[in-house]
Amino acid sequence: MSMTLKALLKSPWVFHLSTGSCNNCDIEVLDCLTPRFDVERFGILLAGSIRHSDVLLVTGSCNRMSVERLKKLYDQVPKPCLVVGIGTCAGSRGVFIDSYNCPVPLDHIIPVDVYIPGCPPKPEAIIAGVVKLIQKVGNG
Amino acid sequence: MNYFYPVNLIVFGFLLTALLGLISSWVDRKVTAMVQYRVGPPLLQPLVDIVKLLGKETLVPAGASRGAFLLAPLVGLAGVVASSTVLWGNLLRPSTSFAGDWIVILYLLTVPSLGIILGGFASRNPLASLGASREMKLVLSYELPFVLAMLVPVIRSGGSIRLGDILSSQFANGANAGSLSGIIALVVAVLCIQAKLALVPFDAPEAETEIVSGPLIEYSGAALAVYRLAKNMLLFVLPFFLGIMFLGGFRLHGIEILWSVLKFVGVLALITVIRNTNPRVRIDQATRFFWGPVAILGAAAVVLALLGL
Amino acid sequence: MTREEVIADLQSRFGDDIVELVDKSHNRVYMEINPRAITWVGTYIFRDLHARFNIASATDMPHHMEILYHFTIEDIDLMVNVRVKLPKDAPKIHSLASAIWALDWIEREMHELLGIEFIGHPDPRRLLLPDSWPEGVYPLRQDYREWDKTAVRDRGV
Repeated sequence: MSMTLKALLKSPWVFHLSTGSCNNCDIEVLDCLTPRFDVERFGILLAGSIRHSDVLLVTGSCNRMSVERLKKLYDQVPKPCLVVGIGTCAGSRGVFIDSYNCPVPLDHIIPVDVYIPGCPPKPEAIIAGVVKLIQKVGNG
Repeated sequence: MNYFYPVNLIVFGFLLTALLGLISSWVDRKVTAMVQYRVGPPLLQPLVDIVKLLGKETLVPAGASRGAFLLAPLVGLAGVVASSTVLWGNLLRPSTSFAGDWIVILYLLTVPSLGIILGGFASRNPLASLGASREMKLVLSYELPFVLAMLVPVIRSGGSIRLGDILSSQFANGANAGSLSGIIALVVAVLCIQAKLALVPFDAPEAETEIVSGPLIEYSGAALAVYRLAKNMLLFVLPFFLGIMFLGGFRLHGIEILWSVLKFVGVLALITVIRNTNPRVRIDQATRFFWGPVAILGAAAVVLALLGL
Repeated sequence: MTREEVIADLQSRFGDDIVELVDKSHNRVYMEINPRAITWVGTYIFRDLHARFNIASATDMPHHMEILYHFTIEDIDLMVNVRVKLPKDAPKIHSLASAIWALDWIEREMHELLGIEFIGHPDPRRLLLPDSWPEGVYPLRQDYREWDKTAVRDRGV
């Protein structure tokens, strides 16, 4: 595995992106970044601008107005980039599967690497998911 | 041929400063973690950050002035490397110190901020322009107290603007921080260094929650890596400079090495603790602070030094 | 004014336009009025009784559409809920947005999600739905059917 990919796995800077969620998953992501759970020991830092990020933490079922904006934002991330879908809404839209405003699930819009189910998932679950992502990418 | 100058530039000015800068950045993050009662990042984390950034693609925004955008980080890095070379030259071979190198260091230390300002304005982004203009206001306000504070060691060493003379007068008479004017000037200098490094409480230019990392918002990949490296190296160079001016320099023989390391880490830990225990101030409050109380303190220190205290 | 005085005042002033007045509890009064009277009833309660406008809600009922305007007269702790019933084939009513500024966005949302037309609204643009949404399709109606052929609605299992 190349050195820069190894470095990416040891220092993933996350960017928090909400595509029309109820904000519960956003609150849990915010909790995850507090000193209590200490994600800095994995090298995870919250990136202020999307151009500084390596991992996108996407919450919410993508509604029609967010689709074009999400595509533009995904283009602005410098590759290589990993995408984590947090919550049931980001996975499959959950209870909003028949909603008039959520036509397609998130992975039809951008490629998703890891899904973390839960409504909302606990911060421990989010950390476990990110660690599993790092192991999965580290193994090829 | 005199090989000292190129060796000094590359090995001591760039490589050693980069290494020590990354270690200083780790010390800063570790002390922050300890203050927040958690475990911090591992030792190699700042190096891994830079290596990772070198592997990402560098995106230049459409309509940005490409040359200025990509050269601005190098301008910042050049300023830090040059000032570090002069400081290491003074330490290793005091005969290379020349009259006026105090002035050279002071203006070279403004170049990294100019790099950030240039990069921010070249980004074609309103938030970046806002951050760059805040950085300009901050530079205009802290430069005066910084120069006043740095005048105190010059006065106390008999009016010589040669760093070698300042160091030797401290060896003879005791560190500058031992006197009343010296300690006031040290306080003023530490506050100005917080602003130079754009650390809380004076990080309005790069305020994360407000303007999304300010002037660096459009930077990615290798350009951002150079900026981060320049900032980490500045985190090493500024306490180093402060140690030379106020704390009696760094002697590198035998047991003195431990004392030198403690002096350096002490200043660094002070900067980190100030960073962790203060809220961010607005840019107008910061400029008023530097033009008001801090400048008056600096002037008072100069007057006390002229009176011999 | 006490709550009995308020109710008596409303009844005497708008007698012919009130279809039904229900004294629900000691702090709620439901008043159903004729849709053509909404302008003077709404502005009277808002301006002259100094009520606070809380919110307006609209529902698609089986045989009609109804809008509820919720006002609170705070000194006497009374909520006055004004109900209008509109016919389903042509739900039209005069807009109160120029008198009560808060109704500006509420009426825009009701228009684009339920299809209620507000005559005289100062700014009848789209609020929530994207520009690619077809005209004349109102999602919150009971007879809304999926028009988007590219939508993925199966769970894949």
